[in-house]
Amino acid sequence: MDTFIQLTVDALTLGSVYALVALGYSLVYGVLKLLNFAHGDVFMVGSFIGYGALHALGGSASPAVPVWLLLVLITGAAMAGCAVLGVVIERFAYRPLRNAPRIAPLISALGVSFFLANSMQLLFGAQQRDYQSYALSGGSLYFRGFDIGAVHVPLLRIITIVSALVLMVVLWFLVNKTRTGKAMRATSFDGEAAAMMGINVDRVIVFTFILGSALAGAAGVMFGLRVPTFAAVGFTIGLKGFTAAVIGGIGSIPGAMVGGLLLGGAESYTAGYWTTAWSDLVVFTILIAFMIFRPQGLLGRADIRKV
Amino acid sequence: MTDSTPRDLHIPAEGPAVGQDEWVARHTERRLVRGGRLGVVEQRLRAAPWWAWLVLFAAAASLIPVVESSGYVRRVGFDTVIFMLLALGLNVVVGWGGLLDLGYIAFYGVGAYTYAIFDSDKFGMHLPTIVAVPAITIVGALVGLLVGLPSRRLSGDYLAIVTLFFLELFETVATNGNQIFGHDITGGANGILGVDPLSFFGHQLAVQHNGIFAVSYYYVAVALFLVVFVALRFVNLSRVGRAWRSLREDPLAAEVMGMPVNWLKLTAFATGAAVAALTGTLATALSASVFPLNFSPVVLITVYAMVILGGSGSQAGVALGAVLVNVLLQLLQNPDQARVLFYLLVVVGVITAFRWSRTLAVVSAATVALGFAVHAVVSSIDKTWATIGHSGFSGVLSHWVVVPGALAPWVGQVSYGVLIAAALAVTQLRGVPRLVALPPTIYLAAFVWENVMLPNPGPTRYIVLGLLLIVLMIARPNGLLGERRVEIV
Amino acid sequence: MKKALGFALAVLVASAAAGTAQGGPKTAAAPAAGLSCKSTLKIAIVTPLTGQAAFLGQEQLSWAKLAVKQLAPAMGLRIQLLQGDTPVEQGANPAQTLAQKYVSDSRTVGIIGPSTSGAAVASSQTYFQAGMAHISPSATKTDLTYTVDGKREGTPAFFRVIPADNVQGPTDAAYMVKTLKVKKVVTFDFQEPYSQGLAAAVDSYLKAHGVSVTHLSAPNTTSDYSSYVTKVPNDADVVFFPTQQPPAAQTFAEQLVEQGKKATMFSGDGSDTPAQYNKPGGYVSNFAPDITGIASDKAVIAAWKKDNPGKQVGSFGPPTYGATQVLLTAIKNACTAGHGTLKSRKDVLRQVKKVRIKNWILGGSFRFSTKTNDPLNAKFYIFKIQSDGSYKLVG
Repeated sequence: MDTFIQLTVDALTLGSVYALVALGYSLVYGVLKLLNFAHGDVFMVGSFIGYGALHALGGSASPAVPVWLLLVLITGAAMAGCAVLGVVIERFAYRPLRNAPRIAPLISALGVSFFLANSMQLLFGAQQRDYQSYALSGGSLYFRGFDIGAVHVPLLRIITIVSALVLMVVLWFLVNKTRTGKAMRATSFDGEAAAMMGINVDRVIVFTFILGSALAGAAGVMFGLRVPTFAAVGFTIGLKGFTAAVIGGIGSIPGAMVGGLLLGGAESYTAGYWTTAWSDLVVFTILIAFMIFRPQGLLGRADIRKV
Repeated sequence: MTDSTPRDLHIPAEGPAVGQDEWVARHTERRLVRGGRLGVVEQRLRAAPWWAWLVLFAAAASLIPVVESSGYVRRVGFDTVIFMLLALGLNVVVGWGGLLDLGYIAFYGVGAYTYAIFDSDKFGMHLPTIVAVPAITIVGALVGLLVGLPSRRLSGDYLAIVTLFFLELFETVATNGNQIFGHDITGGANGILGVDPLSFFGHQLAVQHNGIFAVSYYYVAVALFLVVFVALRFVNLSRVGRAWRSLREDPLAAEVMGMPVNWLKLTAFATGAAVAALTGTLATALSASVFPLNFSPVVLITVYAMVILGGSGSQAGVALGAVLVNVLLQLLQNPDQARVLFYLLVVVGVITAFRWSRTLAVVSAATVALGFAVHAVVSSIDKTWATIGHSGFSGVLSHWVVVPGALAPWVGQVSYGVLIAAALAVTQLRGVPRLVALPPTIYLAAFVWENVMLPNPGPTRYIVLGLLLIVLMIARPNGLLGERRVEIV
Repeated sequence: MKKALGFALAVLVASAAAGTAQGGPKTAAAPAAGLSCKSTLKIAIVTPLTGQAAFLGQEQLSWAKLAVKQLAPAMGLRIQLLQGDTPVEQGANPAQTLAQKYVSDSRTVGIIGPSTSGAAVASSQTYFQAGMAHISPSATKTDLTYTVDGKREGTPAFFRVIPADNVQGPTDAAYMVKTLKVKKVVTFDFQEPYSQGLAAAVDSYLKAHGVSVTHLSAPNTTSDYSSYVTKVPNDADVVFFPTQQPPAAQTFAEQLVEQGKKATMFSGDGSDTPAQYNKPGGYVSNFAPDITGIASDKAVIAAWKKDNPGKQVGSFGPPTYGATQVLLTAIKNACTAGHGTLKSRKDVLRQVKKVRIKNWILGGSFRFSTKTNDPLNAKFYIFKIQSDGSYKLVG
């Protein structure tokens, strides 16, 4: 039972990061019908910005501000930086291809991905960056927390899960309760009709990218707090975030959240209960079978095309 | 050259015939006709028969080893032809069938591993090439059929994802295949070594002589490419090819018109997979080994970039894309050649933007003058801030570009960031502000290139490739030799 | 726009062809006169400079550059260091193409690398047939220099300056059995040759001595090991974690504590970087003591730190310095033997085995073993991480 609880905590932590990345994919796909392969690298840039901010504020051993403020500041910096990056990418790499065949922006996204990952390595080196969050206020992020039975849930994990939840709630609010959110939903449902209704589609798209990239930045910081980050990590995490978005139903926001959590769960439970090398094989076979029988994902909309 | 469009469409002068949709019929006419001498040249080139280009290519490809005796050039040639073959196969699935197959490299891997199993000491089998190659092609086609089965229910992006999962599945099996119920089938992470080279009629084709790449493999590759090209072309011109085109343009309409859509999708997958498996055989024979990481998503992305860049749907286009990308990546490994390439690109870019006009002269003169001015100022402040090289092109350049002896890291980082911002700004400006901003931006680019990027050719290669992909996609979204197509989403 | 683009394209392709032709070196049918040792000779480092393993390759490159900068002028040689990128995500193909590139250039007389065992296996034949010495600072696969199951994957032209897995594995396992007196061990591999070879060697020794072994396998792309930590039994004595990424070892160690596991961490030489992996209580095995503690290395370390501000000394770099030193010494000896002229790179190859270095960067002196192309009397040292994060030699 303890193993199960521990694995569930693992699944939630991992899944939160995947969910935030998947949300970015889903948001952009919904509005632009584009699989933004550069999203994983925006995530990576976010983790690097967080690292830079951490060191600008004194490093984890002796930060200049209280720990909670430190975390808020570096997350904010990463979110802001990534939002700007996302807007710039959209403006220069995707907008000129708005009317091109669907596969052209895909290749452009690949180009952006190559550019980002290798530029970061060129500028900042290939060494891995460790936030060393264990050193923050003497390890209190790990020692404090609460216990479920024999399982100790450290503060850091709680922070990760809760902040991801908060961000998702904020996102849900933005998408469902504001006018811009409504415009976003309209554009993702039918872009042409939305434009004809007087919605400024360009502005909606920029807004979408801001949201998605900010979430990726936050995910980057959460990731970096627990695991060392490096320039090439964007590709792997991007792939996983993409998988999570698809499982949940690409284009659907609650779907991305569910998909992220599911993928985190799948990885954790198979690793925990069945750590032979074949856990990956099982995961992929299940995924393939799942996609064949429910291609639109768990919460996606079945594609009904009007002829 | 654009194989995807039939050339024998007859449109009578008084208008399209009854029963032919006018818009569809006039499709070929909508190609932009360029005026001037270049337009005439292009018309003549387009009028040449398709096999003329092929013969020209075959002649050029055969002459390369004669002109260049370096084993390296020949090996790069071989790698390029392998990529061209892969691009041809992917073109069948993506370009002609319109199916986004993100698992294509798995077929390449299946062919490679099957050849390694059939022709090595692993299981003691040593099948002659004549037997192994067709067998592997068939195996590849069967696996393609298998992977294509989900396409019956899925389309578009969903199919892409399932095929991507297949690729990951293949990688997992290959990496862990040394523990399948206690049997070692794929050799695991260490791969299979000691694979036999190609053998014809009992005579083995040695892979290298004194370490130098054996040119016979290059010729085998070129011959294979020609055979596959011609075969696929005939497939494309047949009923199946036309059916694929209709499937690509509008799957729903095709189904309504009675096309066996499922069967068509499966054959597209199978054909692409067969080509990939065949290529895998050849590549494995040459490297005498196979490792699971040879078939990673990075290779997939490279092949996709080649296909889309060249123009999906056009066989010549994808071959050209393969040549461009692979040669570019190889050239950029060597700092001297990379330097030449960079300045060539800058010059070509400026000429493209301004044509042969006074503006061009003004901008060029300003850039050159600015460079010398800055260089003079900097070297008068401190000699070590502007070192002068001695040899060749880089020596000449160092009189123009500032190359400090020792560069603090923050200078490199800041100048890189400023360069990106400046370059993006230049694309947004118009008129005089743009002309004013251009020379400093070009000079800064040269500075960053010499001091930050060239000393680090590893990541620089991919940065240049990434930028090239972005720029070329924006400039020509249909690919270099692709056609303007209207996509029905 | 299109017309200009087409024109640009044509220019590009033409220049590509020209560039390849111009830069393409001539065949290794050596020029009759040989190479003058006063002219610029080339050596190449073949290592992953991009991708997931870039941290390893870039570190090795920085030390190789330092070695060339310091040692070549002192030996009276003019050496140009070429860089060859073999990203691990692209398999064996880049290694083979690079091998062709260097073999075709008669001015290239030696290789430092290939750094990864896979690349070494794929290209050793090519180098051997062309008579090119290749000295690896990090490829530890045993069958590169030993005959295992009747096969030897490396060639006589392959050398390495660090001992192989068949030394490290039993050393680590013996320490665990004799000193740590373990009963239950969990071993990891990351589905790539280095860790698989090492873990297999440790597993077999432990099992032969009656220790209960649980073997776990994680994909190489894993970042978050929490679920694997959960799988570690509460009563396991030691976790053997042979990663090549010290931050991963650090994170794993912290997660062990986080989940309340009592097991002690034991890592291989890939994790030996005190600046990045310093969780007290863990053990690290390495083929050399910490070079920052070796008096004769102070100058070298200072010079490296000056050239690479803000970076930390890792475990992959110093052997690369050593390998470069061996290669340069061999070149110098070949030049002396040939009276200022090198007939071909085979002269260099002949000299490599005889090289002896007094103040070896990894401590003591260096020479190759007579039986294999590995260092003589190579042994592994066991370190324990102290409460202040420093490494103390314990075995």
